[in-house]
Amino acid sequence: MNFFKLARLFISRNIREEKFLTLLSVIGVALGIGLFIGVKVASDRAISSFESDIEGLNSGANYEISDTSGIDFSDRIYPMVASVQINSFPFLKAAAYLPGLRDTIDINGIYAVKSIRRVRGVNADLHDMESFYRTLNGILVTNDFAVRHAIKKDDTLRAFVYDREYTLQIAGLIESGSMPSNTAIMDIGNFQEYFGRAGFLSGIDLMTDAYTAGRIQKILPPALSTEKKKLLIENQKSMLASFRYNLQFVSLIAILVGVFLLYNTIFISVVKRRTEIGILRALGADKKTVVMLFVIHGILLGLVGSLFGLLLGQCAAYFSVMAVTKTISSMYSAISITDYLIGKNDVVSALVLGFCISLAASLVPSFEASRIRPNESAKAGTFEAGYKSRRKLFPLAGVILIIMGLAGAYIDYRAMPFSFPFLAYAGILLILLGFTLTAPLYFSTVLKMLKKPAAVFGVTATLAWGDMRGSTYRFSVALMSVAISTSLIIALFILIFSFRNSLKSWITRNIVSDIYIKPISCASNFCFFPLSDDISSVVKSFTEVKGIDRFRTLHLDFHGRKIVAGFGDIAAQMLYAPRNYDRDTEKRDGGLLRGQQVSISNYLSIKYGLKPGDRITLQTPGGPRSFTIYTTFSSYSTTSGFIYLDRKWLKKFWGLDDATQIAVYLNSGVDIDKFAAKLRDALSRRYSVEVMNNRELREKVLAIFNKSFAITYAIELISIIVSLIGVVNTLLALVLERKREISIIRYLGGSWEQIERMLVLSAGVVGISGIAMGALIGPIMSSIFIQVINKISFGWEIHLSIPAIYLTAVILILLLSTLAAGLIPARVARRTDPKRFISFE
Amino acid sequence: MIILENVEKSYDGTRVLNGIDLEVETGDFISIMGSSGSGKSTLLNLIGAMDLPESGSITVDGENIVSYTDEQLTLYRRKKIGFIFQFFNLFPNITVFENIQIPLLLNGIGDDRSVTEFISLVGLEGKEHAYPYQLSGGQQQRVAIARALIHNPDIVLADEPTGSLDSMNSESIMELITRLTDEMKKTVILVTHENSIAQQARRHVSIRDGVLYG
Repeated sequence: MNFFKLARLFISRNIREEKFLTLLSVIGVALGIGLFIGVKVASDRAISSFESDIEGLNSGANYEISDTSGIDFSDRIYPMVASVQINSFPFLKAAAYLPGLRDTIDINGIYAVKSIRRVRGVNADLHDMESFYRTLNGILVTNDFAVRHAIKKDDTLRAFVYDREYTLQIAGLIESGSMPSNTAIMDIGNFQEYFGRAGFLSGIDLMTDAYTAGRIQKILPPALSTEKKKLLIENQKSMLASFRYNLQFVSLIAILVGVFLLYNTIFISVVKRRTEIGILRALGADKKTVVMLFVIHGILLGLVGSLFGLLLGQCAAYFSVMAVTKTISSMYSAISITDYLIGKNDVVSALVLGFCISLAASLVPSFEASRIRPNESAKAGTFEAGYKSRRKLFPLAGVILIIMGLAGAYIDYRAMPFSFPFLAYAGILLILLGFTLTAPLYFSTVLKMLKKPAAVFGVTATLAWGDMRGSTYRFSVALMSVAISTSLIIALFILIFSFRNSLKSWITRNIVSDIYIKPISCASNFCFFPLSDDISSVVKSFTEVKGIDRFRTLHLDFHGRKIVAGFGDIAAQMLYAPRNYDRDTEKRDGGLLRGQQVSISNYLSIKYGLKPGDRITLQTPGGPRSFTIYTTFSSYSTTSGFIYLDRKWLKKFWGLDDATQIAVYLNSGVDIDKFAAKLRDALSRRYSVEVMNNRELREKVLAIFNKSFAITYAIELISIIVSLIGVVNTLLALVLERKREISIIRYLGGSWEQIERMLVLSAGVVGISGIAMGALIGPIMSSIFIQVINKISFGWEIHLSIPAIYLTAVILILLLSTLAAGLIPARVARRTDPKRFISFE
Repeated sequence: MIILENVEKSYDGTRVLNGIDLEVETGDFISIMGSSGSGKSTLLNLIGAMDLPESGSITVDGENIVSYTDEQLTLYRRKKIGFIFQFFNLFPNITVFENIQIPLLLNGIGDDRSVTEFISLVGLEGKEHAYPYQLSGGQQQRVAIARALIHNPDIVLADEPTGSLDSMNSESIMELITRLTDEMKKTVILVTHENSIAQQARRHVSIRDGVLYG
């Protein structure tokens, strides 16, 4: 037997005969894959951006010396290090915001004489290096950046660096290669002089081995550490991991809907072709051949869907990157992603995913097809009847899986055996699988319950119920795709609504001052370069100002990871902000003023099993210092762990008294907006700072929140579309298979409108059943997302809130959409020529 | 009364019916005998308003159905016609009771009692809740006969009603059709290629190459 000829004959004919059905399946798979790839590209590029940032410009450098607090350190360290390892490359780094271009660049001040040839993408012979060295404010920018912003050599750019305004001159262009395109290079001497950073370094890159790195560490002061770049990259990746996996998991659920769609298509093909399968078997085809025919059919659809999914994924990547960039920049550190193009890895991922889901979707129906006996084909209706009798165990298995899923999520909630919520994620999948197995029994029960009320629809109901009863299994597959997309929508709605409410409460408690000041060049929630001391003096000189809280952030090394420490002037807060003061915050602040105490974010508490009363050790320039945990709190402004302390410890243990952000409290009766404008005007003459009033900052925080969830809205929309395609798919297949019955109805005097009503009624029953099941699964999923996954992943305390009105509206829209989905097959039914399907001879 | 005058019909350029003239009185039982491809099924489709002739007229009780709209044709079939097919053409996913009930429901009648009576009439007591795949060929055809008559149509169109049955079942089915249509005074047009079946009608015509004889 020539299998390939047989496969070509069988499969190509299937596809030709079921063009629309095939198209729907391909679209469903494409949408799911496109979404997954879009999210993947965005998170991959974000990680690459961090990697490039850590790798630095010195190709081959495998170690980095930096201050554990993330602040610049004395450049007197460099000669000491160079005497041990000649391949050491000092650098200074600063972010610059370019208001004319509405973009940021990362200025890297490098020891150009020593390391310019090592910098990736720089061909020192081709550039006017004299111009580069001689021009104090000269920078090299990448070709990509220059093309994007239509700038060229010798152009000047207005830039906000640290808290001042500067002018930068383009001294030359370089190839970006693997560098982020927003990289700029400056000679370190010029950098120090021009930006007033003489005597400082941000870090030293090393090309060395572990032994020498160990030797170097011994000669460094305690505040500095020598870290392997690979480890730094891994740490950064693990910080992003939770964010990334959360998004990808949600997009995977959207793909699940596509899996049901494909499953349905193959199953329908099997049912339609049972006579042919029987004949094939009678002619001597073995079971393996039958399985392979349908599996290949499924895989073909999956792969074609993947290819289209790549095209969609490219579009999705653009929007995902924008959303992800904003979120990561505010929560972690500023990144700039300009590469939206999907790469070879993404293509492979899409094809592998397409292959896997099509295999998963087609295996079961293919094996069912192989079980068809030649004589079974003669009697219509025997297939489903035979199926029903063999599948009594399904509901039992389904219940067991649901219980297992709930148990897994509960174990993570209570015990958190792993630092990553594996059991909770697996629990959601088990719950969905469990409900899938119970779907046929559930659907049969719904049909029984609704039969009497449906009698008002007369013959339409009789015929529709007959069809649905006779094809329970098939209809329950469509039901599940509606249920899963409904549950996903409900779960995400509840999550977003709850999160937004919790965030608003958090904002009310924490954003209490009238005005906030930070450098314009700082895009993140936390800034790390100090503001000029003069700024505080200028602010305090205004009579409208009651008081200020000078806030400082540092990076800290905590259990091998970089976290954020925030030092606030707690006494000032307690003095100046009583009317907005939250009781819990007041209690916390009182505690932090007494004794050597800190408050830690829930993320650290969960990750390291820390609670109030425990002692922790923080590395300071003067050595390790022990603190007692006074309270824990929810922090939405970062997901990398946050410790809050009073400013007195900053001076005592870090020797610093500066501030990276300033909160301003005004006297009562002062017009906040007017004063903000006045302050902006006063400061802008010398400094480049952002002055926001309380309202503006709250709006900004909520805007970032909304943008972060833009991807989830896209996921919801796509899963609705795919599930509606599933309903159309099922009913369309029904029409194609039931052409004979439709013809009989016409012979008996049934009108097209009655046939249409029958299909719409079937769509409605599938819709109601699916939505009802989804309304049960959705809150379970959202509880797991809120109470377990987000808590373990990010340490976010989110209080459950149910948006009843929104959910009701969404459910109504879904129901109307599924009813409308019945109209498409009805249109196809009208094209039936009854004479063709009533066999007279 | 059914009158066909000079009815012609072609499919894909092939003339299937060639100037058919036929008169069937009310209550008549006529058989049309012809071999495969002779045009007998096409003739039945035209009388049953499932298709329209290219030329000629089909008058049923004084009304020319050729000029009917689709809605009128649908209504005509619903009220006046009962079909019996060679391969039964029952709905596989509903019970015997529901299959027979369909024409009543299409006509907006919810009379369960008459369905039960017809089930008895065709000798299928106890099979109300069975599905077609659970019945033999003969039993399925009995269901089809009940369905064809339940809504009290004027005309019964039977196409090879015994074509899928063995001789014993064929006999009993023909006996059932003849008895019931006689009792209910229906006009019956039966097409067949078997002489023995055709002879059981009161009037016989034959069709060959789209032309009626006899």
